[in-house]
Amino acid sequence: MRRLLIPLILFLLLIMEGVALDILPTPLLKGDLDFVSHWVFIFLILVAIFYDRENTYFSVFYGFLFGLLTDVVYTGILGVYMFSYALGVYVVHGLTKTLHANFFVTILLGTAGLIVVEVFVNFVFSITGIADFVWKDYLIERLTPTIIANILFLLVLYPFFVKRLVKWKEEQLSGSTKF
Amino acid sequence: MRLLQKKRLFILLIGFIILVALIGYSLQDRDEETTAEQFIKDTVGWVQNLIHTPVDYVTGIFKNIDDITDTYEENKILRNKIAEFKSLQYEVQELKEDNAELRNTLDKTESIHEYNPIQATVISRSTERWIEQVTINKGTQDGVEENMAVITAKGMVGKVETPSKFTSSVKLLTGFDKFNRISAKISRDKGDDVFGMIEGYDKESDHLLFRIIEESDKDLKEGELVLSSGMGGVFPAGLKIGEVKEVKPDQYGLTRTAFVEPLVDMYDINNVIVAERPQPDDNESEENGEDGS
Repeated sequence: MRRLLIPLILFLLLIMEGVALDILPTPLLKGDLDFVSHWVFIFLILVAIFYDRENTYFSVFYGFLFGLLTDVVYTGILGVYMFSYALGVYVVHGLTKTLHANFFVTILLGTAGLIVVEVFVNFVFSITGIADFVWKDYLIERLTPTIIANILFLLVLYPFFVKRLVKWKEEQLSGSTKF
Repeated sequence: MRLLQKKRLFILLIGFIILVALIGYSLQDRDEETTAEQFIKDTVGWVQNLIHTPVDYVTGIFKNIDDITDTYEENKILRNKIAEFKSLQYEVQELKEDNAELRNTLDKTESIHEYNPIQATVISRSTERWIEQVTINKGTQDGVEENMAVITAKGMVGKVETPSKFTSSVKLLTGFDKFNRISAKISRDKGDDVFGMIEGYDKESDHLLFRIIEESDKDLKEGELVLSSGMGGVFPAGLKIGEVKEVKPDQYGLTRTAFVEPLVDMYDINNVIVAERPQPDDNESEENGEDGS
């Protein structure tokens, strides 16, 4: 039963994302700088760093699943978020092996993951003709605010979930279970 | 180790193929979304509705406090306006009666101005900012169908893109392109209306592009109101779309394009009305459904 907690949190984040964007004050959304919220991905980064063992890939699997849900609910173009989330989490998962997990490493890996996701998503969107932009403008007007906004969200989530995730890891992923 | 590398490459390639296939599948012209997609959307929409209602209530309280502070000033202005409205109301009533009477004599009871309103609330907004889309809490169960116009009290906001059972996605005016045209007009006295098409949204200048098909004698002035003309067959006539800001000739100098500013702030939409246009004849609407896809 406790295993369902992580998917449940991810699902709630997915739902809250859209509601939050609808409720946020207008001036924040209207300016030249746009940001995209990746709350689900932020939590996936925490899962990848603190929950997964070296040989388990729960975070990547959840990346696929909830990326697909994001696609269905918010964009209508299947596959884009699904693969970018999975790819981003996979990169973070791979890097955790080499770095010792602490607060600053989490921020660093979060930033790296977000860049992978954002660039991949916008690369696909620009190829398919959904978005039309110049990469230089994109870097300043979208990528930077997006990363700052999401890292802020990571800072909010960090104190709440890190200890819990480590605890769940000890409870649920002890030794023999493999995924 | 080499085997592991090969396995990874294999997974990557398969993933890539699936990605391309999925994107291709979702970009093609689909009449309807799959049941699975609708189910997911409805489930998410249901929970979002659950969360949205109390949160909206709380933010509503703050807004109310904000409003109370400038009530006095507004009250003064409104009182003046009421005096004006009284005479106007009388006039409108006369005209309405007149209109009904004339319609009766003509045996013509349907009008392209008419629509059945379906009240709805916006429950969420797409997180991907390239896609200008909001979700409302009414779906096919409540009579919402594809391509219906979505309006607020101020003016038009967009059209229904994909309805599911209990929720539907609305494409905002800011996301319109050449595949989502609206036939529109600028209404004037004495029948010299200016007809044209809203041909999409220019992201750089933040204006809708209104291509004028039929030139009128007089030039357009700034601040003139652009309305939907109802000629497309899907949207009812007379929905307010925006105000003219600037007029420019196109690159060949044959037609002119007006830059139109939408009346509604696309980031501040809460309660909307889905305008269901009564369709007397289904065949007819399909033939001239240019408002649609």
